[in-house]
Amino acid sequence: MSRWQHIIPSGLVALTGIWICWVSYTQQPAQAFLFPRLISTVFVALALWTFAKALLGWSRAGDGISRRIIVNILPGLIVLLIYVFWAAKALGFYTASAIVFFILLSIYDPNPHSEVRSWIKRVIITVGFVVIMYGLFAQVLNVFTPKEALFQ
Amino acid sequence: MEFIGYFDEVFQPISFMLLLIGTIGGLILGATPGLSPTMAVALLIPFTFQLEPAQGLILLGAAYTSTVAGGAVSAILLKIPGAPANIATTLDGHTMATQGRGAEALQLSFISSAIGGVFGVMLLIFLTPALSKWALAFGPSHLFWLAILGVTVIGTLDSNSVVKGLLSGCIGMWLATIGFDDIMGAQRFIFHPELSGGINIIPALIGLFAIPQVLTMFAQGRKAADAEVLKVQRHPIGAAIRETFRRSRSLTIGTGIGAFIGLIPGVGGQIAGLVAYDQAKKFSPDRKKFGTGHSEGVIAAESANNAMVGPSLVPLLTLSVPGSPTAAVLLGGLLIHGIFPGSDLFDNHPDVAWTFINSMLIGQILMCIFGLYVAGFAARVAQVPQSVMAAIVLGLAVFGSYSVQNSMGDVYVMAALGVGMYFLERFGFVAAPLVLGLILGPIAEANFIQGAMIADATTGRLPYFFSGMLNLTLIFIVVASVVYSVWMEIRQRKLDRKDKEAHA
Amino acid sequence: MRKLLTGVATALALAAAPAVAQDYPERPLMLMVSYGAGGATDFQARIATMTAGNEDALGQPIAIVNKPGAGGRVGWNWLATQAEADGYTLGAYNVPHFIAQSIEGGVEYSIDSFEPIANWGADPAVFVVGADSDFNSMADVVAYAKENPGKLTFSGAGLFVGHHIAALQLEQAAGVKLAYIPNNKGGAGAMKAVIAGEVLGGVNNLSDAFRAAAAGNVKILGVFDLERSSFLPDVPTMVEQGYDIDNASVNFRGVMVPKGTPQEVIDKLAATVPAMFESKQVQSKMEAGGSPMKIMGRDEVIEMWKARQATLEKLLAGL
Repeated sequence: MSRWQHIIPSGLVALTGIWICWVSYTQQPAQAFLFPRLISTVFVALALWTFAKALLGWSRAGDGISRRIIVNILPGLIVLLIYVFWAAKALGFYTASAIVFFILLSIYDPNPHSEVRSWIKRVIITVGFVVIMYGLFAQVLNVFTPKEALFQ
Repeated sequence: MEFIGYFDEVFQPISFMLLLIGTIGGLILGATPGLSPTMAVALLIPFTFQLEPAQGLILLGAAYTSTVAGGAVSAILLKIPGAPANIATTLDGHTMATQGRGAEALQLSFISSAIGGVFGVMLLIFLTPALSKWALAFGPSHLFWLAILGVTVIGTLDSNSVVKGLLSGCIGMWLATIGFDDIMGAQRFIFHPELSGGINIIPALIGLFAIPQVLTMFAQGRKAADAEVLKVQRHPIGAAIRETFRRSRSLTIGTGIGAFIGLIPGVGGQIAGLVAYDQAKKFSPDRKKFGTGHSEGVIAAESANNAMVGPSLVPLLTLSVPGSPTAAVLLGGLLIHGIFPGSDLFDNHPDVAWTFINSMLIGQILMCIFGLYVAGFAARVAQVPQSVMAAIVLGLAVFGSYSVQNSMGDVYVMAALGVGMYFLERFGFVAAPLVLGLILGPIAEANFIQGAMIADATTGRLPYFFSGMLNLTLIFIVVASVVYSVWMEIRQRKLDRKDKEAHA
Repeated sequence: MRKLLTGVATALALAAAPAVAQDYPERPLMLMVSYGAGGATDFQARIATMTAGNEDALGQPIAIVNKPGAGGRVGWNWLATQAEADGYTLGAYNVPHFIAQSIEGGVEYSIDSFEPIANWGADPAVFVVGADSDFNSMADVVAYAKENPGKLTFSGAGLFVGHHIAALQLEQAAGVKLAYIPNNKGGAGAMKAVIAGEVLGGVNNLSDAFRAAAAGNVKILGVFDLERSSFLPDVPTMVEQGYDIDNASVNFRGVMVPKGTPQEVIDKLAATVPAMFESKQVQSKMEAGGSPMKIMGRDEVIEMWKARQATLEKLLAGL
């Protein structure tokens, strides 16, 4: 694992720490920012220490990120982000969940794509999941989810 | 011994049926991510409108005890702690499940929950008057020190890098300050409008634990179908019972600390499990095995969680002061029927009071029996293919975090924290100390500010925070805990070096 | 395909539009409470709305959703800016809390952001001291405060809520300096501080104080209202004890909707909700829980909000 793998995240954490510190010491009222000042000071000290360790190549903890992980994660991560930040609200929870569930199974399910049986299985699992979610959250717990695009 | 006379009340057909419904329903609700015990009990209140007071409370009491235990199910099987109380359970419990020992982990958790729970209710029955004084002894300065004591646990949660563990704790404390501050009402760090409500602990908990889990499953890609079927070992219940009692040190530490901390209004429930886990680890000769699927970790955490249930109701039942959010909801359940907790409850409605307490006692045992019955079956969750599991956990995380307060903002926060946490975890940062910071930060801050305000008007800050038996005791424990951690760390390093030299 | 979909959507929208008033409500409603589950507001909201599902009321149940934080600011901000004004999202209000907070600033709502529907309760603030306290009347408290300016610590539920208003009024009327300690756990936390002796006294809700006094934990020294309460006929008001304090701190609780909700919906709610509060079932449960009721219609509440706005502006200007 290259040294950069530690430098970048610890650098980002350190930058966040500096920003928090700057905000805490400049914003008013002072009494409300007393506690943020205290923790941000400790935060910055620890973050700079970690960053220095990364620069010197002393960081050991963690497994880092390999190219293979990025290739494997990327499609799923993109689906996840679209699901949470757009689809869930725009299409409605149950519609979006059904679509996302099916897409994720299509991407990651190891059963061969050429067989009809594996597609039928995926549809059944998707429908089953959404029905259970609907029963639990909409019927039993009475949770108000955003309006559905396909049904009321 | 007055309580024994009211047992037949619990065993009336209708009451017993309610007890069963409350227990089983509570287990299911508790296992659902996003539904904390408080929410679950609040959801049940409308059903008690139609019931007799005693019967309504049987339902609520049974549901309260079993939701606390139910939280362990999702913590062990999915690595999603159902409530802050179950964070410590994930550390060893989920590791056991991934090794195919899910049934064993669930059995241990239910047995130690029941033992801790029964002990806690016994304390409630026999020592209530004495304990109520103790519950009130904790003022702002003591709660402040108690929160600091919780922070020192961070050193134990993370064995890789103490600096990164502490840094994770700081990130958590900072996240907790986002939003309106609770006392002054000032806005802090609201860099996006969805954050004005602050970071709610339950969605944060779901995101920080569940989403890295989902991404880790993604990272394995399309693995061949036969490679991923995990053998789920069967585990005889008798062996689990023997194992629990063989680990009596952890069981005692867990139960004792859970009962003791559970009494303290406002702090108890959330950190009992973690503090018990920390202490059990410090006193165990096998402390290196903690975190690798060690039975003691599950036993200590879960006995503490349920031992806290009984004592957490002491301030409510004796003084009418709800010590925890769940107790506040139970107070509502009593008030609806015109029953005021306090001396009125035990003097004028002993049937209600004792039936309620008895129902928690029987509820603990029913919960254990039912839990053991389904443990073997539930553990098969580990056999669900990773691709399906990843999608299910993601769906549950979205629905669960939304349902806490019907807020899209909570879902965004959940996902953002979760994705960030996955990448931080790859570089040695850890979720558990971060969550601990998120929980303890506000407790430390609010009590410090309140204490400082009282101190400024009276004796001054130094004497207020640093005098009195309780303050000094807590400070002593904090210092001892830190010194012990540092000493162990140094000794460990020396041993490692000797090992290396011996091998070289 | 797209044309077809748009056509269908338009047709549906047209069919749905005139039906709003007649069929409303056709699905369950949601009532946002800006305090945590188990608090006095949450508890009363659950009782006040428990009959909503009956045919003679709304015919649909009302679910309570809690959005607690920062003395209610989080929930009311959400209701004013993010909630859908479709008639299915209601909110519980606490006066003077939200009005005082909007005058103090830093929030995105004011009395113009919401449309009141009806009021269900009025909970006056009271002054409490521990059961073993040396204080037996407000005169004792004020005498102590005069001897030790700024040293009389007393708790309340937070800043810019009813308790804080009462504290400010007491300081002004008695001409003393007090140390008000806002609690982050609301009224229950403030009450605990009094019972445990962390502070010398406290301002708290009449309903909670009545219970604590019945349990023998506190003494109630005075009521911050114009008249004595039927729950506490023996406790004198502040005016009776010689302090010129009106009912500005009385905690009015009721139901409102965000601005922009269709007028037909508001009318329908304003007609049915007060009747719902008057049902025997609600009244008896409220009475049993020690929660004083005060049912007011939409017009009365509009007047009350305006009057409070004027009083509070004057009171808070002196800060």
